[in-house]
Amino acid sequence: MKPFELVDHTADVGIKAHGSTLTELFENAARGMFAVIAGEKYKAQGSKIEKKIEINENKDNLEEILVSWLSELLDIFNREKIYLDNFRILSLNNNGIKAETSGVNIDLYQSDLYTEIKAVTFHNLKIEEDVEGFSCTIIFDV
Amino acid sequence: MVYAWQDKLEKLDNFRWKIPQSYKPGMKVPGLIYASEKLLTGIINDKAPEQVANVAFLPGIVKYSLAMPDIHWGYGFSIGGVAATDPENGGVIAPGGIGYDICCGVRLVRSDLTLDELKPRLETLVNALFNNIPSGVGSSGDIKASAKEEEEIFLKGAAWAVKKGYGVKEDLDFTEDRGSIEGADPSGVSKRAYERGRGQSGTLGSGNHFLEVQVIDEIYDEEKADIFSLFKGQITMMIHSGSRGLGYQICDDYVKGMISCLDKYNINVPDRQLACAPLNSPEGKSYLRAMKCATNYAWTNRQCLMHLARNVFEKVFNKSWNSLGLKLVYDVAHNIAKMEKHKVDGKERLLCVHRKGATRAFPPGHPELPEAYKKTGQPVIIPGDMGTFSYVLAGTEGSMRETFGSTCHGAGRCLSRSGAVKVCAGRSIDKELFNKSGIIVRAKTRTTLAEEAPEAYKDVGEVVDVVHGAGLSKKVCRMRPLGVIKG
Repeated sequence: MKPFELVDHTADVGIKAHGSTLTELFENAARGMFAVIAGEKYKAQGSKIEKKIEINENKDNLEEILVSWLSELLDIFNREKIYLDNFRILSLNNNGIKAETSGVNIDLYQSDLYTEIKAVTFHNLKIEEDVEGFSCTIIFDV
Repeated sequence: MVYAWQDKLEKLDNFRWKIPQSYKPGMKVPGLIYASEKLLTGIINDKAPEQVANVAFLPGIVKYSLAMPDIHWGYGFSIGGVAATDPENGGVIAPGGIGYDICCGVRLVRSDLTLDELKPRLETLVNALFNNIPSGVGSSGDIKASAKEEEEIFLKGAAWAVKKGYGVKEDLDFTEDRGSIEGADPSGVSKRAYERGRGQSGTLGSGNHFLEVQVIDEIYDEEKADIFSLFKGQITMMIHSGSRGLGYQICDDYVKGMISCLDKYNINVPDRQLACAPLNSPEGKSYLRAMKCATNYAWTNRQCLMHLARNVFEKVFNKSWNSLGLKLVYDVAHNIAKMEKHKVDGKERLLCVHRKGATRAFPPGHPELPEAYKKTGQPVIIPGDMGTFSYVLAGTEGSMRETFGSTCHGAGRCLSRSGAVKVCAGRSIDKELFNKSGIIVRAKTRTTLAEEAPEAYKDVGEVVDVVHGAGLSKKVCRMRPLGVIKG
């Protein structure tokens, strides 16, 4: 099972993330998003910066938590210029997520690799269960 | 998919295709797509028609869920979608119906220069524009605003820039809403949005945003062209940009917030990206006020970009911009929601018109138009891809009757970004454009060039012919690109 694959969309960019568990699905969705940002082959070099993430929202909806999780990571990238490449989810449910993540402080803005993601959209978002676990297609506005 | 849609669409005439209300239970009005047979083939291969049907679910939607001929698959709304909702009838506002790049739009600047005068300095000019106008993602520019000034930008829009000396009062006369929409309230703008927008005034951004030097190569309506001060062989400049990180974050914040409104107000939409709230609800009002901050920010941004470009022209030609005749023809937004008066079944109603990749096209005599354009109707500026043409059109009564004063906004994509990169693999798009058409292209990244290659877009001429033929706006002139700067 591939952790994620890039999906075609006329105006924007999408990924289909997979995971044998929901936790793995969320981690792979994060990997997929950063692959959209800098390409699948990109490896950030430099000293690691650790970030802790805790989201508590009264949503009762896992898909909305998925968007919140990815948006939070995108915000760290946008504002703190940290390219995140390591994700460890400690707990996850319909109302929140607790995770540790780390990455490298790097300014990709002027780089040739870079694709700007404006936002993580809710477009046709659905976490689906199959024989291998879970999958979800996520469309980013670029 | 193709066959499914061929059976479902009802051909009304050569330009109009109806999606019957019975297509999906829950549609409150039918859908209406403006397209030629040729464009329709592409449209029904895309997922856009389904999105036109989905928008018809919005509470309070009036008459039709509309789609312009440049329609393509977006998220929630299709790109090229228009929907008007009535606040007196439970009408909603949907942030996704405006999009992340709030008040993204184009402005056209004329000049007194002719092609012969420009030619010897074209390369110098394009290089100087590329070096002096901050482009690319997250770029921050020379134009700095303090935190207090940022609030002033949100409230006053392009008038702030003029006050700072980045342009003249006359520029405001030729900007939609005079570059400043009333009712903005910075208190609804999150800290995150503030921070994402900081330092990005006067920056072009990335993706499909551009600054282009062009020459007018065809006039269709001499009288209107003359009033717009446009003539054959004249050099023009077009700027396409929006509200940058600020707009993205405002949209993001409010889409997330409005998902809970779907339950709260008992709204049924088939896609969560269509999250919305009644116009009369606290959530709806709060979004409108925040959206207006980004709207004013975008007009300021394009005003600042024009100012930076005028400075470059001054240096290259060693003359003041005024004596080069670098005057603003018009600035239009194409991602926006506006409260506007429209006649529905003979009665005037105040409606919220969502234009997601659609341009306002007000007719001659409309009170919103500057005095100089009362006779012609509003200039409509339609950029094409970087290898073909752009157009100026003029607004008509037809758009008021049928599309809430709206028309198309550009060529519209027909290839995904990765599809375009695949098609362009191993090719050098800038060299091709130069060798084939003499167009000088400067871009921050090669990926942008491939993603934005001419093949990725529909034929803008065909798109414009549809809105012209359907009477939604009338062709005035056509511009050919000479030099392009991409983010």
